[in-house]
Amino acid sequence: MRGEGVVAGPAEHADLARIARLATRCRLVLLEMIHRAGSGHAGSSLSCADIISVLRFDRMDWSADRSGDVFVLSKGHAAPAWYAALIVGGDLPAEEVGTLRALDSRLQGHPDRTRLGLVDVSTGALGQGLSVAVGRAVARRLHGRDSTVYCLLGDGECQEGQVWEAFLYAGANRVSGLVAVIDHNDSQSDGTVGDTLPLHPLPDKLRAFGWNVAQVDGHDHGELRDALRRRDPGRPSAIIAHTRKGRLGPGRVLLDGSHSDLPSPAEYAAAVDYLETLLECGA
Amino acid sequence: MRRMSSTRDWFGAALVEIAREYDHVVVVNCDLAKATRTLPFKEEFPDRFFECGIAEANAIGVAAGLAQEGFRPFVASFGHFLTGKFLEIFQSVGLNDAGVVLVGTHAGLAIGRDGPTQMGLRDVALMRTLPNVRVFQPADGAEVWQMMEHLATDRHPSYLRLCRQPQPEVHAEGYRFRFGVPHVVREGADVVVFAMGGTVPVAVEAAGRLAADGITPTVVNVSSLPVDRAAVARLAGAHRRAVVVEDHYLVGGLADEIGRIVLGLPDRPRFDVLAVPDYGQAGPPEELYRRYRLDAAGIAAFVREAAR
Repeated sequence: MRGEGVVAGPAEHADLARIARLATRCRLVLLEMIHRAGSGHAGSSLSCADIISVLRFDRMDWSADRSGDVFVLSKGHAAPAWYAALIVGGDLPAEEVGTLRALDSRLQGHPDRTRLGLVDVSTGALGQGLSVAVGRAVARRLHGRDSTVYCLLGDGECQEGQVWEAFLYAGANRVSGLVAVIDHNDSQSDGTVGDTLPLHPLPDKLRAFGWNVAQVDGHDHGELRDALRRRDPGRPSAIIAHTRKGRLGPGRVLLDGSHSDLPSPAEYAAAVDYLETLLECGA
Repeated sequence: MRRMSSTRDWFGAALVEIAREYDHVVVVNCDLAKATRTLPFKEEFPDRFFECGIAEANAIGVAAGLAQEGFRPFVASFGHFLTGKFLEIFQSVGLNDAGVVLVGTHAGLAIGRDGPTQMGLRDVALMRTLPNVRVFQPADGAEVWQMMEHLATDRHPSYLRLCRQPQPEVHAEGYRFRFGVPHVVREGADVVVFAMGGTVPVAVEAAGRLAADGITPTVVNVSSLPVDRAAVARLAGAHRRAVVVEDHYLVGGLADEIGRIVLGLPDRPRFDVLAVPDYGQAGPPEELYRRYRLDAAGIAAFVREAAR
């Protein structure tokens, strides 16, 4: 899929290198948050760190007053990845890195917009974010606003029936201005998605529901960006982003892709060491 | 006085009126526009009517998204079906503080022969557990119109509970609905009866029947929750007996709301509750109300017993 439609010139390459550095910094921040909290979904957060980085630092019309595009983290347990992007992007003070999951913190274990205005929609119990995203996209269309509502879902989450109610509604009503990115890491709490309840053939199902579907390497910033650029103006778009839970970098995975295990102090130190080396090497 | 009608009928009429006045009023439907009386709205405002089909969870989420973008969505379905999606209401509406109005029709036993899978008998209990969600249940047409004006201009997540059965007007001319304020619809002494929605006119009728026994209960319409604690305390404190009568499950509804206030009174009155103690069952509505003692005769007998 890479290269389709977009020819990567030197400026594009420089920009991709910028996103890569930001994504690595997000990984460092989210791991520090989870390490200091002693709690949090490291694997799930690492899995979508690249997707969130491309959205927050490149594709989204982002403004801290939340007047631009909308971002719904339907897989709310990956909240540390979103908080990390907010800290790296300068929207949240770096001091808050130690407040994840702490009493009275704005950085709740799952995103809570009544505590943190930089969260567009409260999520946590799975399966609900896409419906709210649909409502927001429909409302913006009614208001005549040209903007995009992005919704990041987990693949395991797509076992929830409500997700398919939302896919059905958005496809049937041709809700444009809506992009669902599915973080397809094939891992959920009890094992692989394939072993638990397979989604296959997911792209065919989504197309049958009336969606424009793309599949990308969810750790390739160029592929993600190209797919996010290639939208169908008359239909909602789904991007199935193939990822690896716990991915730190090329060939490097934390905790063998576990859903909710915590890195030991030694694993954490090794991960930080690795990520800092990546940054020093310019990536 | 308006002719006798159901609060869902008044809702349907009022909805169109307020929608003419307020552009941000929209409707999210779950294949029940006829039953919930949103069909006239659909006919007049097709662009502001969102049909989600028989998929209440998604409908609630879509409504939350619409509310976040400045609309005031009314999501209408049977109360039992809507509040059955409790996790969606908890998170996408409640914890998201989205200004959705959930409209739950067919409150209580009145749906009759369709039985307990369609009866809104636990809806108030569920909605009371969400701290920012307000509960409304009008007792007559006059109150519906005022509540709709209130709901259209308010932004709180809300649950509007409506009845299927026709009801007479219980409020005097000039009645003004105020959120959380209980309203005395019949002045009396010794016993105070707290009721909500469709039970209010039945309690008034029961009070009339008791006059022959020398019992003159005060009847209070509690049409919105959380209720003003001080007002309930004053009313309960001024009587020897307090009774809650509700067309809802015994646990979690109006009885719990009033009971907590009565418990805190220094010289608390005796407190009794008449409500549905089980899952409910199928049957003609009038027979169901008789069986569960929630008709005028049953309420009169219960109050007579409590007043002894």
